[in-house]
Amino acid sequence: MKKLLAVSLLSFFVLNISNAQIERRRANPHAPVEETFLTKNIAGLGTVQLLEKGDLNSMIQHNFGDVKGGIDTFFGIDEGANVRIAFAYGLTNNINIGIGRTSREDNVDFTVEYRLLHQTKSDKIPVSVVFKSNAGIRTQKEAFPLTFQERLNFFGSVMIARRLNDSFSLQVAPMVSHFNTVVQTRANQKIFNTTYGLGLAGTVKLTERKSISFEYLPVLGNRLSNTKNHAALVYELETGGHVFQMFFMSGRWFTEQHLLTRTETDFFEPNFRFGFNVNRVFGLL
Amino acid sequence: MRKKIFFCLALLLLSGHLIAQSYKTEEGKATFYSKVPLHNFEGNSENLIGLINLEDSTVDFYIDLETLDTGNGKRDKDMKLTLDTKKYPYGEFFGKLVSDFDSGSSEVQNAKVQGTFKIRGKEKQIEVNGTLQMTEEGLLVKAEWILNLKDYEIKPPKLLFIKVDPNQKIKIHALLKPVQS
Repeated sequence: MKKLLAVSLLSFFVLNISNAQIERRRANPHAPVEETFLTKNIAGLGTVQLLEKGDLNSMIQHNFGDVKGGIDTFFGIDEGANVRIAFAYGLTNNINIGIGRTSREDNVDFTVEYRLLHQTKSDKIPVSVVFKSNAGIRTQKEAFPLTFQERLNFFGSVMIARRLNDSFSLQVAPMVSHFNTVVQTRANQKIFNTTYGLGLAGTVKLTERKSISFEYLPVLGNRLSNTKNHAALVYELETGGHVFQMFFMSGRWFTEQHLLTRTETDFFEPNFRFGFNVNRVFGLL
Repeated sequence: MRKKIFFCLALLLLSGHLIAQSYKTEEGKATFYSKVPLHNFEGNSENLIGLINLEDSTVDFYIDLETLDTGNGKRDKDMKLTLDTKKYPYGEFFGKLVSDFDSGSSEVQNAKVQGTFKIRGKEKQIEVNGTLQMTEEGLLVKAEWILNLKDYEIKPPKLLFIKVDPNQKIKIHALLKPVQS
């Protein structure tokens, strides 16, 4: 009899619970982490942040002469800007393509990025992994004849990043660059067509729309004798529609193959230049 | 002894009665419609969760706001920031059905609910008109109302330099199945 009473009471209470407010549960606890970095680039280094399908990112990147010129060059501003204009598009949520043009050497470059893994909020997948490849061609008129093949440069990297918490993300990216032609600019200068490196990047969110980021590209192994490791320190600000990035960087370029092999100023000397990027995303679908 | 058996049976019967009177979503869709001059867009979610208890007229719906998809990643991100979905992940309604409903009829019947809508941590008493229909598949719910963002202290976001209309039309469409024991 007691058992019957217990079962009856249990049934009554359990079933009545269903009449109270439903327990709130997240729809997708394994949802991907949406914002590891604020944009696709830090200063020049790419990030695992990809555009979603149908989104177009337009980006204008500038930097100036090095600050060592002092007030005579207004800390490099008077030396003229290197400018890269670039567009990237989300073919799918995991594949981005892009095109850019840099004013130095009139280098035109093409990018393909493919996301292999996307970190999830539940940590079921602990990191995001994106493969990036870039091919560039210097199109400027040269004093010496260069064939199409000789004008080409290439870059490949595997970017591995993790958003550690709501305000801190880190990225490591083994990378390789290759130039079909390397010009010897100094006597007895060692030259190499292929250079390996490790891209390190991180960001600290100050608020939802402001962050401080860094990038550092140490060369691994052989390097041109005047090549220094590139570094940049960036302040990022997201407004309603734009992401502005203001930075000090040692490299003169915005394409990673050039940053890795042709940076000749040492950030920690210290010697660097001022620059800024402007990003704007448009939804095309 | 008889009294005890009668009491137990009454409890079980009452529980069974309550089961038959409760309906929960198997599929539910919520849509909001936004306007800026010369441009309209909508956001959709297939993750509307709801429970209607016809016995005590309780109506309870909620949605995980991070599942709303406007078809534009940048806009979705701005929307989530505007709604502060990290801190307040749900939009939710809890109230009562205040109109009559004949569960024995398969006709579409007008329905009115009154209760509290909560979003971004702010609550407001609202009244929503819609329809209920008892179908072979379950209880079909359709409703729409205007949500004014300012009522919930939500600053309307901007598209380019133009502010989004604070009045957002919300539509829900859900099929609720009898709650099984």
